[in-house]
Amino acid sequence: MLEIRDLSFGYGKHSVFENFNLCIPEGEVCLITGINGVGKSTLLRLIAGVLKPGAGDVIFPETMQKEPKRKIGFISDRLSLYESLSVSQAIDFHKNVYHLSRFDDSLIRHTKIADSQKIKELSLGQRTIFHLSLILSIEPEILLIDEVIHSIDAYLRKIFLEQLIRMISQRNITVILVNLNFQDIEHLVERVILLKSGKIAVDEKIDSLKAKVKKVISTRRPSGLTVLSQNDYSDHSEFYIYPFREEFAENIEGEIVDLDLTEIVSAFIGGEYA
Amino acid sequence: MEKELGKFLDLKIDAKSALPVYEQVKRTIKLRILSGHLNEGDQLISIRELSQKLKINPNTILKAYYQLEVEGFIVSRPGSGYFVKIDYRKTQKEKKEIFEELTNEYAFQALELGYSVDEMLNEICKICRKQFSSINSGEQENA
Repeated sequence: MLEIRDLSFGYGKHSVFENFNLCIPEGEVCLITGINGVGKSTLLRLIAGVLKPGAGDVIFPETMQKEPKRKIGFISDRLSLYESLSVSQAIDFHKNVYHLSRFDDSLIRHTKIADSQKIKELSLGQRTIFHLSLILSIEPEILLIDEVIHSIDAYLRKIFLEQLIRMISQRNITVILVNLNFQDIEHLVERVILLKSGKIAVDEKIDSLKAKVKKVISTRRPSGLTVLSQNDYSDHSEFYIYPFREEFAENIEGEIVDLDLTEIVSAFIGGEYA
Repeated sequence: MEKELGKFLDLKIDAKSALPVYEQVKRTIKLRILSGHLNEGDQLISIRELSQKLKINPNTILKAYYQLEVEGFIVSRPGSGYFVKIDYRKTQKEKKEIFEELTNEYAFQALELGYSVDEMLNEICKICRKQFSSINSGEQENA
């Protein structure tokens, strides 16, 4: 279990989290989402140890107690990655730092990255794949991924996801994703956490979330139900309902539509901007 | 070999469906067993391969396989994988359930369009005669 206990953090006077609590069991694939600036990336950086909490703790599973940071993989497009080294130099350096006897470069081979290329010359997609192979080599127990998939082309994205799935099935790795392209990871995510003003506003297993968020297409606002957000058209509106329950259906005038993860997340986030 | 390829050709996941993904996987495999595309002793695609292929969390596939095993449609042999098991009585029962579901759906939609029960029956007879005659003549050609 990864446990974040009574965590507080702020940038200067601006508080991001206050007494924040969250538990993530080992092996879970968890999506953290919320509007821009809510602190998603900050939370990942706190877990990774890149940022220090003002108060509270990040407690790692017992298996990781010895040197937890060595078993955390953090993929972010903001990380600087041995910029001026060549690919082969960076691999050697990485092997030294982590005391690795060998390095599996099969993933890099897929991506037309040459050993002599400088890291700073790589495209964002190539860097991400390169970074992923560095991370794979340390056999992480927790993997943190901060919205990097967007910038990768379709082929590299496929490779990235396949590697991710391999890690999940081989080693029961815990994965925390922030706002990745929802379509790509739709069926990988087991739990969705929505942050709002430094707090957890929604925390649901994916199957229960899909059962509880619906779109009602109607000419009038459904009465007695919580509407997250709505889209208005000339002769009808779409109302996003949460929490929805099966027994509501008979009293609703209009059509009730199931949603995919992209639409569910945008319904929540749209509600916050409204 | 051709049969091998046909086994999972149709395993598509509907992201919009409120039916959980494990349930969708389960149904598709069940349907493949009931319709004879998968036979007694056939090996199912491995959890890891299927999750890679469909980009589904391996735990979700595991859940689907586990439930299929509990319901007696497949057996797992440790170290070698999952295999189809046909229980004739069970398959008959499941088939009937699916048949009823399909009929229910058809009847509901036809009634909504304003057709009577007689008209439905007539139409089904007509279509079946047409389909069967073409299947029969096809068989004759092959013979």
